[in-house]
Amino acid sequence: MEQRTNSPFPSIDRPVMALVGVVLVIGTVLFMWSDRAKDWRFYQMEFKSLVAEQFGEEKAATVPSGLQQIWVADLQRADRCTTCHQGVAWKGFEKAEHPYRTHPEAPLRTHPLEEFGCTSCHGGQGWAIETDAAHGQVAHWEEPLLSRTLGEEYTLSGDKNALMQMNCNTCHRYDRETAGAAAINLAKRMVNEKGCRACHVINGFGGTIGPDLTEVGDKAPEQYDFSRLSGQRTAFAWHVAHFRDPRALAEGTVMPNFNFTTEQAQALSMLVLSWRRHDVPARYLAGAPRTDPRSAEELAAEEAMKTGPGRWFVDTGCFVCHSVSALGVKSPAQIGPDLSTAVEDTQSRFGMTVDAFLANPTGTMSVVLSRQIILTPEQKKTAVEKLREAFAEYQRQRAAGTAPAVSH
Amino acid sequence: MRLPLSSRKAEPDAPGVRPQMLWSLSPRSDREAGDAIASNFMFHAFPAKVSKASMAWNYSFWLGTISAALFFLLILSGLPLLFLYVPSVERAYQSVKDIEFVITFGSWIRAVHRIAAHGMVIAVFLHLVRVFLTGAYKNGVGRGQHREWNWVLGVVMLLLTLFLSFTGYLLPWDQLAFWAVTVGTNIASSIPWVGATVRELLIGGRTIEQATLIRFYVLHVVILPLALGVIVAYHMWRVRKDGGLARAEHETLAERPIDTPVVKTKTYTLLGVARGQAPVIRAQALEAPDTTVNAVPDLVRRTAIATLGTFAVISIMAVFIASPLEEPANALVTPNPAKAPWYFLWLQEIVTDTTIRIGSFTVNGAFVGGVLLPGLLIGLLTAWPWLDKSSHLATGVWLPRVRARQNTVFLLVVLGILILTFIGMALRGPYWYFYWPWEAWPDIPARI
Repeated sequence: MEQRTNSPFPSIDRPVMALVGVVLVIGTVLFMWSDRAKDWRFYQMEFKSLVAEQFGEEKAATVPSGLQQIWVADLQRADRCTTCHQGVAWKGFEKAEHPYRTHPEAPLRTHPLEEFGCTSCHGGQGWAIETDAAHGQVAHWEEPLLSRTLGEEYTLSGDKNALMQMNCNTCHRYDRETAGAAAINLAKRMVNEKGCRACHVINGFGGTIGPDLTEVGDKAPEQYDFSRLSGQRTAFAWHVAHFRDPRALAEGTVMPNFNFTTEQAQALSMLVLSWRRHDVPARYLAGAPRTDPRSAEELAAEEAMKTGPGRWFVDTGCFVCHSVSALGVKSPAQIGPDLSTAVEDTQSRFGMTVDAFLANPTGTMSVVLSRQIILTPEQKKTAVEKLREAFAEYQRQRAAGTAPAVSH
Repeated sequence: MRLPLSSRKAEPDAPGVRPQMLWSLSPRSDREAGDAIASNFMFHAFPAKVSKASMAWNYSFWLGTISAALFFLLILSGLPLLFLYVPSVERAYQSVKDIEFVITFGSWIRAVHRIAAHGMVIAVFLHLVRVFLTGAYKNGVGRGQHREWNWVLGVVMLLLTLFLSFTGYLLPWDQLAFWAVTVGTNIASSIPWVGATVRELLIGGRTIEQATLIRFYVLHVVILPLALGVIVAYHMWRVRKDGGLARAEHETLAERPIDTPVVKTKTYTLLGVARGQAPVIRAQALEAPDTTVNAVPDLVRRTAIATLGTFAVISIMAVFIASPLEEPANALVTPNPAKAPWYFLWLQEIVTDTTIRIGSFTVNGAFVGGVLLPGLLIGLLTAWPWLDKSSHLATGVWLPRVRARQNTVFLLVVLGILILTFIGMALRGPYWYFYWPWEAWPDIPARI
């Protein structure tokens, strides 16, 4: 039988091949290990033992493990903060150290986690699951955690935790006063008192001598001139210095020096940096109108109806479908008949008195009175009285020849 | 009828294959080794025998194999990313953040993909340099050789590799991606007459937007890999058809024919069988057993070492080198400096250096650096096998005397490109000002 040709290679290549195999295994172990070795696993373990200590093992077993996330589709935010900050919604850890501490309850009542997430108020990088990246203390992330520590770095006068109020103003931009946002409120008062709008457009109105400030918070840090600023090179620091002495930072500016105090300058800087183009759904915007706008005439007519003799029909909601023209109530929809002649109508249409009809309505009214406008027997009595009054007024007006045309 | 197990065991399952616990391929003869190649789909691209000289690490540095291994690794690591990445301007950045932070092994897979992509640009370039310096695009004496066309294919594959990398650059939709592509496509727009149209065709409009993203995405994941895959296959087929590496050619040409050993044989005469010896054959080196080894297992093993070694190195690098992801793309804020991908930085550098401002008059460097010079270089590179008139004896030899002049010029051009790339990468700071490595760049300001 033929033999194999002798080859000089195996003696070296075989060990090399084995070495490559070993390196491959090492590489595999390394990447699997690096994917698992995350700080949040440690924090979750710690929190579990904290819960066990305070509330017993049974409670501790209910603490979720693994990556946690609050997904707010409306705001396009996936906040994974609760992966480490597991105590946020637990009572009893108010005094615990971070990241286990309980979140103060009051703000969460009006801003539930499921609707706002964490970063829309606190800043930081919700996607991240490592401390530095999540707190935004890394390159290429421009929304750092607006924490007390950061406030101390800026030596905020007053509340060191005030920087977070910038994010309040994303939704509360059009408020005159926002509860709990003292710095922003102060700044808004300053804007009105000092008459910033004399020179600047803010929210679409104001003078044109200075730049439009409506979206000035979006101006990139690279676009500021830092050449005359010493110390921290941030947009915030620039604004503080600029508010305190505009001419020191921008040569030849006509902006007057208002002699702001440090607190005022810092508050104003927070306010202007909060003026950004945010894509926030309308329902998140405080003070945004929830109804179609109405004309002044419509508003005046409604006001007259509410204060006039037909007030009861407006308050009770009858006017949504029925006019009561004798009493000056005009329904915007006029789906049902005019109630001025209801006393007569129930007789001719249903063959019963208005008392009997209200007690035992038929057709549409049976649905309306059982589902939408639910009247107690006393209220029904009042209704009959009011209808009689309306009819009396109608007859009086007819006799006088001033009765309005009644639609049926 | 089924044979009893024991009798089936006697014959190999496939040529050279005898099932064992750890290693089953054990050809007992050269014929079995050759059969193993011919009958195995995974091995069918290999020859049965390969010259020892072509196997050497220090001839080819196995750069072609490494390039192919990286391409394969890019496809492998690209597949999971296909499931995770969303090519929309609203979601792309977010999906890459998710890959980085919460997908199991996500950041490693992305790092493997990125490092392998950069590695492939380097490996393909070095492969081209090696082929040039060894004159491996030259034909020897074999019939039907067209190594010059394989060289042209190689140049095309280098361009495809660069374009693949460039299209992938945009996909994360961050500032780095957005502005690198802005710089890149602006250079394209300086082509005379058709420049604006070329740019518009490339980015699907006049601004880099959703239309650009989907174009680059489809090019990156379907069209370019497919094109490259087809050309790689043809490239390999041509290597076989041209008689293997040019190094083998050189051996055939340069070494004296080897006398094959005399073997005892039978000679059939008219009247019977005469015992005696066969005539001495002066064999060509390529056929001679002393200068060749069987592809199974030697070539297969070395290919495995090169391929798996590449995988192992990339895998470990990917654990320690994080992939960058900057701020979300913002057309209103230009990062300073805005740089093209690193392999185009030598062009960007030339663009800057050839942009001359005299008063209000500006000579546009984009045409010189972005079109004229690279066009000229690629044209020359493509045509070089026909311009190189050196003897075929210089085929497959490192830096031969007869090609000294062209190799020197080539090396100087390569050196120039490397130096310009280094300057662009490391020494250019904000406003494209020059900074020595020991000079600190000004601090990048932050918002808060």
